[in-house]
Amino acid sequence: MARPCAVVGIGQTKYKRRRDDLSLDGLVREAALRALDDAEVSFADVDAVVLGKAPDALEGVIMPELSLADALGAVGKPIHRVHTAGSVGASTAISAAVLVESGRYDTVLTVTYEKQSEGNATWALSGGKSGGQGAGGTFAPWIREYIRRSGAPEHIGWQVAVKDRQNALKNQYAHLHLHDISVEAVKESPMLWDPLHFLESCPSSDGAAAMVLSSADLVSRSPNPPAWVLGHAKRTEFSSFPGRDTVKPQAGVDCAATLYKEVGITDPRRQIDTAELYVPFSWYEPMWLEGHLIAPDGEGWKMTDEGATALDGDFPVNCSGGVLSSNPIGASGMIRCLEAANQVRGTAGDYQVDGARVALGHAYGGAAQYFAMWIVSSELDPVFS
Amino acid sequence: MTQTVPGFGEPERVVVDCGRMAELFDIDFNLEYPYTRTTGPIIGPFLTGLRDGRILATKVGGRVICPPVEYDPDSGATVGPENLVEVGPGGEVTGWTWVAQPTSKHPFEHPFAFAQIKLDGADTTMLHAVDAGSEDAMSTGMRVVVRFSSDRQGTINDVYFVPGDELPAAPAVDDDAEPVMITEHLIGVRIREPLLPHRRRFVEGLQQGRIIGQRSPVDGKVHVPSRGYDATNRVPMTPDDDVEVADVGTVTSFTEIVPVQYHGQTETEPYIRCSVLLDGADSTVGGIDIRDIKIEDFRVGMRLQMVWRDGDRIGDLDNRGYGLNEEVYERWEPTGEPDVDPERLKEHNF
Repeated sequence: MARPCAVVGIGQTKYKRRRDDLSLDGLVREAALRALDDAEVSFADVDAVVLGKAPDALEGVIMPELSLADALGAVGKPIHRVHTAGSVGASTAISAAVLVESGRYDTVLTVTYEKQSEGNATWALSGGKSGGQGAGGTFAPWIREYIRRSGAPEHIGWQVAVKDRQNALKNQYAHLHLHDISVEAVKESPMLWDPLHFLESCPSSDGAAAMVLSSADLVSRSPNPPAWVLGHAKRTEFSSFPGRDTVKPQAGVDCAATLYKEVGITDPRRQIDTAELYVPFSWYEPMWLEGHLIAPDGEGWKMTDEGATALDGDFPVNCSGGVLSSNPIGASGMIRCLEAANQVRGTAGDYQVDGARVALGHAYGGAAQYFAMWIVSSELDPVFS
Repeated sequence: MTQTVPGFGEPERVVVDCGRMAELFDIDFNLEYPYTRTTGPIIGPFLTGLRDGRILATKVGGRVICPPVEYDPDSGATVGPENLVEVGPGGEVTGWTWVAQPTSKHPFEHPFAFAQIKLDGADTTMLHAVDAGSEDAMSTGMRVVVRFSSDRQGTINDVYFVPGDELPAAPAVDDDAEPVMITEHLIGVRIREPLLPHRRRFVEGLQQGRIIGQRSPVDGKVHVPSRGYDATNRVPMTPDDDVEVADVGTVTSFTEIVPVQYHGQTETEPYIRCSVLLDGADSTVGGIDIRDIKIEDFRVGMRLQMVWRDGDRIGDLDNRGYGLNEEVYERWEPTGEPDVDPERLKEHNF
């Protein structure tokens, strides 16, 4: 049986198109030092560091965990590197939690980042070749297939794009603060990959995110309430094989089912108070609500349509503004995990969901083939009814 | 000289150049990108200093560290610009290696030494180049002194070292030049790899106008192109599993791409990329390039015939692709057959 692990410190940088005031070292340190401050610990208290980011080709720094070790106070300590494409931020959080749960380390600092401005993600994802179709071009046909299957009306995507940007206005760290966002603005923005408009797509951001995780006996050392890690799961499938369902990938279904079982959740929509889902393109909100068993097939878009996923809805999704508002790729999954923790710690500020007790953090990556999810709670052993 | 490819029929169609075949099976790929680096509050002044004729270090916890760092490497504590101090211009070699055959990436075209140099006033060494003339001129413990290049851009290559103690002439400095905040670096790697055997048979097939897939010995599903193994059932596939599929098939998904401009991108106008389930196959060929069919006429379920390109069909097909190279086909044409119901294509859209 694993021993309990809690998030005791959270740190984020301001996300921006280009952080031209900070080196890569400075960027990761900004997030790490804020997480240490929040936990009221120092580098000296940290037993191990777990670093994650998306493919090295994004910045062209190969094996950055080596050059960043000193900057993260890891001299004489183990430093681990995690890499699972776009889901890496959440996978990294899980790897760090496992190091505490296993009993190997008491205090783990985990940091993720991307400095997208130093390279070009579409170039990197195209393998350095001309004619890349990019992430949006890959996902667009699957989104159209979701629309075909579910019969969802076209305004659902626009609605998610507006909701997440309005939430981002309450989050000081969010990259996009689009004060004039509206359904009209979204549908009139350029069509990038039918049905995705420019404003239904994530930005390209620089930024880093960090957490301090600690074992139960050290939780009281930190002043802010802990977010207990109740469970986590990761699943992977191949990008392409005969019989693959790209709209509702089996790995995503299995990941969610395993996680809910581990935590004791039988009715996710009712028993989870809020979720931070990895939604880089608007339509992935209803797709993951269904793909992760929160809504029945064909019903996810109705939750969006009815306002259930709004900040004041019964299942608020991406209250922080989500990936649609900030996308330092390697960190984006960790931001989902730490924003879930912010909600159950009561530290989410203006985008706090009243009384949030149980929250889901989620990320996916690659061709919707890597999944990583965790559930955190204000209670170590909550009762689900 | 030309000759037929052994093992395949119809020699009049199967004509390839021998030299080209050797190239075909040894794939070269050059991956490069002009990355930028934000220099930050310490490396920025260091590079600006090199451009302006001085070498800066940071004073950290009783030590002077050169090149300077933003943090104490022992404790992780922050080190601010107020800790910058000047070191050099002379120093001592604490270790070195002779570079007898410089490459294009090296600072000199002629032989030189890379040395660990402990600059006067510093407690740590900096790795840099010594233009010593000959290996005999190098020794551990020798004195070296900085030289400033005439065309300085604010990079580590703005300086080099020479044996001795003769101070450099004061370099000309442009007092109006901006500090170095961002640097650009063309970083690249050249990869050469042989085509794997299953991939080689696939490419040989294309040369002859045949599309070769592999049928899983476990579930009978046909993979095109094959990876050489059935990933779903975790078994390898052998030449005995090779099967030919049709050059006609059904569109299972598509996207119209508005090209994003990036280094090496040559596309400027929108185009369609689609996946096609070839008749006789269970996996799709992806990334098929459509230029001649209007987006409003394009749909999932549409039947398409591939029109082969005449002559050489060798492209940059590597070991990882899941599509057909654009050099294989001239275009794809609608067959005019009735569409396939998209519901039947659900599990074939990528």
